[in-house]
Amino acid sequence: MERDEIMDRVCDVVSAVLGVNVGDITPQSRFVEDLGAESIQSIELVAGFEEEFEIEMDEEAALQVKSVDDAVDFIADVITEQQDE
Amino acid sequence: MTPPIVEELIRRAARRPAIVAYPEPQDARILQAAARAAAIGIARPVLVGAPGALPLDAGPAVERRPIQEDANLDRLAVEYARRRGVAVPTARRLVHRPLIHAATMVSLGEADCMVAGATHTTASVLQAAGLAIGYREGVSAPSSCFIIVAPRLGERRDVPLVFADCAVNVDPTAEELASIALSAAESARTLLGLTPRVAMLSFSTHGSAAHPKVDIVRRATELVGDSLTDGFVDGELQFDTAVDPAVAAVKTPGPGEVAGRANVLIFPDLNAGNITYKAVQRLSGALAVGPILQGFARPVNDLSRGASVDDVIATTAITVLQAQGNP
Repeated sequence: MERDEIMDRVCDVVSAVLGVNVGDITPQSRFVEDLGAESIQSIELVAGFEEEFEIEMDEEAALQVKSVDDAVDFIADVITEQQDE
Repeated sequence: MTPPIVEELIRRAARRPAIVAYPEPQDARILQAAARAAAIGIARPVLVGAPGALPLDAGPAVERRPIQEDANLDRLAVEYARRRGVAVPTARRLVHRPLIHAATMVSLGEADCMVAGATHTTASVLQAAGLAIGYREGVSAPSSCFIIVAPRLGERRDVPLVFADCAVNVDPTAEELASIALSAAESARTLLGLTPRVAMLSFSTHGSAAHPKVDIVRRATELVGDSLTDGFVDGELQFDTAVDPAVAAVKTPGPGEVAGRANVLIFPDLNAGNITYKAVQRLSGALAVGPILQGFARPVNDLSRGASVDDVIATTAITVLQAQGNP
């Protein structure tokens, strides 16, 4: 999957879970500081990404993901790993 | 030996046992505690977990709630999605997790309260409860309190007090401090049967010092005064003024409902609260029971990962009492 496609779909999930406009989300946006997420919502983002990309994410590692760019990188790695398995 | 205050909490919990969800059934301490909580009549335990994590027979009065693809899961996913505004498929993934499953059961009234933390972090317990249950009206974040039994306070012996917040909120604003105080007042009422006499603590008494940190406590005192029914608040007060009638007589204008006789002590930040509870424990041999979580719309408590079976029973009794106090 191309990085641009992952980025678009990540932005859709972030918009749906956090209730922000897609237009307000940039690759550099940080979930808590820029998009107004409560820190406890991290697990909802993880579940949203898992559902969107049909992947399983390690929860502890996923919690280190703080921005949209981080999420795209993380998900791209998980997709590659799970394709290799 | 079980401390008398804990025996008393257990005795009072047994008057009206509640349905307690335990989402960590793979832990031997939880299994033992659930069976004992049922046997001594403080709880109707429900073990919540993946089918493979649940014991085949947990005991005569212990219910098993397997997390599997069934109508229960569907109902919980729909409830979670409704509450939180996320898509149902995302909610399904979330309610597969034992903590969130159990917390959503509490939200739906299928259980009265939840006890967890034997194998999960405090952050995970707070997260599940915050998302699936939410907070009481006027509360924006959870807080915690300790029951402190002071061996001696003036002429009195074994005096129960409530200290807050000694474990969760690092640097509360005036609004957060007020919310901590209101939750702690409620804890004093439901757990100890006390009329709350809330002292908002500071290094200043009624303006004896001027500093932005004092202003926060003073503002919080006003906010508590606006909302506290069935109790009393005063601030800002120094600790000795709050608990010692002789000092209160010198430092405050006259006999009041709080100064010199406070039973709920609200610390301005976590530095003060955490250091003080540990100091009284170590220096005076005071018993500290907690941390007890407060501020959730329905009760949830967090165990230490080193908790013993007796600790789980004590926490269960406290959580049941909180559930009894719930409207």
